[in-house]
Amino acid sequence: MKINLRVSLKIPDAEAATVKNTLRRRMGYGAVLAELGKERLWSIDVDDSVADPADLARRLARELVNENKESYKATVDSIDFEDGYVPVKVGLRIEDAEAISAQNRLRNRLGFDMVRSVERSSIWKLSLRAEEPERTAEEIAEGLLINPHKDYYEIMR
Amino acid sequence: MRIIGLNDREVEAGLRSVGLGLTVSEARSVAEALGRDPTVPELFNYDTMWSEHCSYKSSRATLNEFLHTEGPNVVQGPEEDAGIVAIDDEWCVVIAHESHNHPSQILPNEGAATGIGGIVRDVNCMGAKVVATADPLRFGDPYGEDKNHVRWVAEGVVDGIWQYGNALGVPIIAGDVVFDDSFDSNCLVNVVAVGVVKRGEIIKSRAPAGAGEKGYDVIVVGKPTDSSGFGGVTFASEELREEDEEANRGAIQIPDPFLKNVLFKANEALFKLTRDEGIVIGFKDLGGGGFTCASSEMGASAGYGMDLDLDLLHKASEDLPPEVVACAETQERFMLICPPELTPRALKIYNEDWDLPNVYEGARASVVGKVTTDGRYITRYRGIVTCDISIEHLTRGIRYEREERPRVIDLEEPEIAAPEDLSEVLLKVLASPNVSSREHIYRYYDTEVQGNTVIRPGEADAGLIAPVRGEKFGIALSVDANPFYGRISPYWAGATAVAEAMRNVAAIGAYPATLTDCLNFGNPEKPEAFWEFRECVRGLADAAKALWLKGYEDTPVPIVSGNVSFYNESPDGAVDPSPIIACVGLIDDVRDAVTMELKKAGDSVYLIGPRFDELGGSEYYRTVHGVTGKNVPIVRFELERNMIYAVIDSIAEKLVVAAHDISNGGLGATAAEMALAGRAGLGLELDLDAAGSDLSADRLIFSESSGFLLECREGAEEELETLLKGYGLDIMKLGNVTSSPELFMNHKGNTVVRMDLSAAKKAWTAGLSEAMR
Amino acid sequence: MKVAVIQFPGTNCEHETLVAARSAGLAGEIFRWNRPAEELTEFDGYIIPGGFSYQDRLRAGAIASKEPVMDALREEAERGKPIIGICNGFQILTESGLLPGLGGVDVALASNVMVSKGEIVRRGFYCAWTTLRCETPARRCSGSFILDKGDLVSMPLAHAEGNLVTADEDLMERLNEEDQIVFRYCDEGGNVEREFPVNVNGSRENIAGICNPEGNVLGLMPHPERSSFAWQLPPTDSAKSAGDMTAPGPGRRIFESMKRYIEVMR
Repeated sequence: MKINLRVSLKIPDAEAATVKNTLRRRMGYGAVLAELGKERLWSIDVDDSVADPADLARRLARELVNENKESYKATVDSIDFEDGYVPVKVGLRIEDAEAISAQNRLRNRLGFDMVRSVERSSIWKLSLRAEEPERTAEEIAEGLLINPHKDYYEIMR
Repeated sequence: MRIIGLNDREVEAGLRSVGLGLTVSEARSVAEALGRDPTVPELFNYDTMWSEHCSYKSSRATLNEFLHTEGPNVVQGPEEDAGIVAIDDEWCVVIAHESHNHPSQILPNEGAATGIGGIVRDVNCMGAKVVATADPLRFGDPYGEDKNHVRWVAEGVVDGIWQYGNALGVPIIAGDVVFDDSFDSNCLVNVVAVGVVKRGEIIKSRAPAGAGEKGYDVIVVGKPTDSSGFGGVTFASEELREEDEEANRGAIQIPDPFLKNVLFKANEALFKLTRDEGIVIGFKDLGGGGFTCASSEMGASAGYGMDLDLDLLHKASEDLPPEVVACAETQERFMLICPPELTPRALKIYNEDWDLPNVYEGARASVVGKVTTDGRYITRYRGIVTCDISIEHLTRGIRYEREERPRVIDLEEPEIAAPEDLSEVLLKVLASPNVSSREHIYRYYDTEVQGNTVIRPGEADAGLIAPVRGEKFGIALSVDANPFYGRISPYWAGATAVAEAMRNVAAIGAYPATLTDCLNFGNPEKPEAFWEFRECVRGLADAAKALWLKGYEDTPVPIVSGNVSFYNESPDGAVDPSPIIACVGLIDDVRDAVTMELKKAGDSVYLIGPRFDELGGSEYYRTVHGVTGKNVPIVRFELERNMIYAVIDSIAEKLVVAAHDISNGGLGATAAEMALAGRAGLGLELDLDAAGSDLSADRLIFSESSGFLLECREGAEEELETLLKGYGLDIMKLGNVTSSPELFMNHKGNTVVRMDLSAAKKAWTAGLSEAMR
Repeated sequence: MKVAVIQFPGTNCEHETLVAARSAGLAGEIFRWNRPAEELTEFDGYIIPGGFSYQDRLRAGAIASKEPVMDALREEAERGKPIIGICNGFQILTESGLLPGLGGVDVALASNVMVSKGEIVRRGFYCAWTTLRCETPARRCSGSFILDKGDLVSMPLAHAEGNLVTADEDLMERLNEEDQIVFRYCDEGGNVEREFPVNVNGSRENIAGICNPEGNVLGLMPHPERSSFAWQLPPTDSAKSAGDMTAPGPGRRIFESMKRYIEVMR
């Protein structure tokens, strides 16, 4: 079973602002890119025998989310994205040391024995004024959001 | 807001309903001074300016009573954002020291980062180039009840420091970390920043002469004002309660090192322009108290008034109420006061050359008003006057006479049997989170940026930079305070912190030129906490006074900057009294400085400073025996001064090739660290009988009485001994550097310590990373 | 001989880099990123110094690589002028495809991962002195022009993203064959050990610096400007206090190389 924590910042996201500015000012998406947002996504694979996944999600969030600056939405197995943007998931295709360290911390120090693996990625939410928004989103992902030698991307719908 | 004619309960209810921290009597005194009911924005301005953080209302009288802030080398004492002392006829060093404790407990990363951000602005706004920072940190017990939370705070704080400090481009060259359960719910995050400026190019944080008469422009530069940090100074002036965390969060500021980096460069361009044209400006950072604090202080300190239009200030959104615009603590902002003829060029530097609007959404420089001569502090918003008060009354602040009462604690010296195997005990002390190598942390810090670094963390007791290319002089920096001593004796905690900070810079050959104090205590409304505060200040002032500025008899080392942080307290109790001291040392030629690692087999090793039965609060008592004890190390002022001067002179005369002061872990830890800090292959053989003391071996090895170990240059033994005798010091030649990686200590014919240094290195290196894992 | 030290918003090593370049006999100035790009043509060489351009947002170097000034630099590179990218400068050069210079983006400088005995022992930012072994013969590349194969140069590094990776399995062979791997991390004796602390960030084959096929563009993670004067050295180095304040440190040879390259090539 997979617990997904979608985490967004409550404070201004300077990284998203810079990426948006670069796409609009330097890469010709001024008329196309209406809005750009970002979330972090933790996908945590846990034992199927977990009885109360919602409660487990809450307990995991307490360790992985800093609610003083972030809010989160938890789902089990699937993720449903809202309308109005193209969600682009960007993750590492090489070994992710931060995810491994989070996994070790959860399992070894904090006693979450049911955790099997932890995956970490970003969701870029692109609101596009384009004929084929998915096509444009791919272009943006390949043109800026990823370096293909370490990252992969996936259009999430 | 109605105050006149209401009873106390009604006034109280009114104040709290809008989120004001002012007391009823404070609010009444405002109404009385105005002769009318104040507006809500006016009350918020008073709330800000009369907070403990801005007005020092509890501490000012004590600070004035004890601290020596003047001296022959002082260019500027604590009256502005940072203190300044002279290096030579041309150059000055600028220093500021602050705490950012409360925010770091709640949002460790942003809290610690904002701490650095604020302090470097304080130094930069004096016209200085910021050249170094130091971070004294106090965290809870990493193996105690709250260990997971303690480690979360510790990791977040260190991340915040490197993510902000490294990006800013200022090297972190010093710091210390202490773990102690009194910090479980209240971490301490202090920050020191140091800058350099030419004496003739210092910029004042006040309106220049003539600014009122000629109607100088008031300009705000930087991030668009938002609501972040609103209530921040009030937050820093209250105890932390868990149920308030959500509300306190709003008081946290969000730093941006990238924007700061660009702002510094734009400031540099502005400063150059004003120097080239001979124009005098006023420049100040917007820190605690935000726009209100900066604008009112800049006007009042020059005897002028201010007429300011909040509509002209660039904001992140247009729906902020006037008191939020005025009092929020949005980071990365400065205030400039300049003659109108400079204004267009100043705006161009920020808005076009450095392109602030594209560096950060909504950032820019905006003219927001004028300096006036009428002594009024006026703000307007959406066409109405929201504040019209006497600027002098607002900034004068208030004073409280706090009650003090000695804290009575039951202390005694333990009866302990000397352990059988002192090698094992020493290994345990070396592996303790408070003694072990600090490498785990300092490798996260960019200690090299700017390319000025001469001595880095881990190489000696103090960091050293050569901050001006083409000049040989160096600035040394160290920080110190021992909370375990504070628990036993606040007075001696203050005095030993000063002495140790000075010993640290002396150990590399620099002379202590100035001190700063950041005083971290509990709730001053509690008489015991206020007594602890006064005792610490008295102790540190006595030490600064008695240890003399080198070259000037009977002249204190001046304390030119500092900060008081009260309310480091939660329902579980207050932090151990923590007077954290930073010392700036100066050396004429950085190439003469020495480090602590052993240099050469065969060299003689000398002990400076007799050992006393002073193990109260020691690492040995706490880590090995689980007790605190009573006999805290004291400072024998004349002896201490002679030791410090002798070490400085012996390094200047090139008699000494390595030096390390004795502190946590005593002589044993000091000796081991000298061997562990360098390349493998060298060791030490020491004869404790040469220390001329009848203490038992364990007390000799682990007493934390002040002192030094010196490695003498081969052939210079006689000269060194003559120099030491000249200062009235005992000659205690303990032994030699050996060519095998082992540490031997002999006592009364027995080898009491025999330690394999390669095994010890593993334990010493792992102690801190284990505690922070 | 005049070099431009390119300053992006967030760059923080431009001043000491210019000082180090001058100590090697180069003249130069700091060039703000939004100055008219055509003014770049008057310089004989370019250095992109370290720092955090755009605060490493998204990925180190990714945002700066889209700035117009990089297009101008690409043209200068095609004319054979030398470009040296240090730390963040190296990251910008890889993100813009100027390195390894095979037509696209061919490598990434990923987050540091310190591996010892197969375990991840640390990650993230790391600041320490390191030794580099020169892997190419003299004159191969602008920034190692006067260094011989096997020469050791010590200098500090300080970065969070210096772990060179590639998804192109043939690339390493090609870089080796074409002598594009200029520097590797090694111990003080010159041994290239594959694990931390010698391989300080997990980089493929201990790579610390690479050049383009033509050799005029070099990127390296460590900081030669922080090792250009003897007094900057660590205390265990016997050269530390030798000589006056202008006595050279080993890192200066990178800038001396650049100077020599300009002299020979123009």
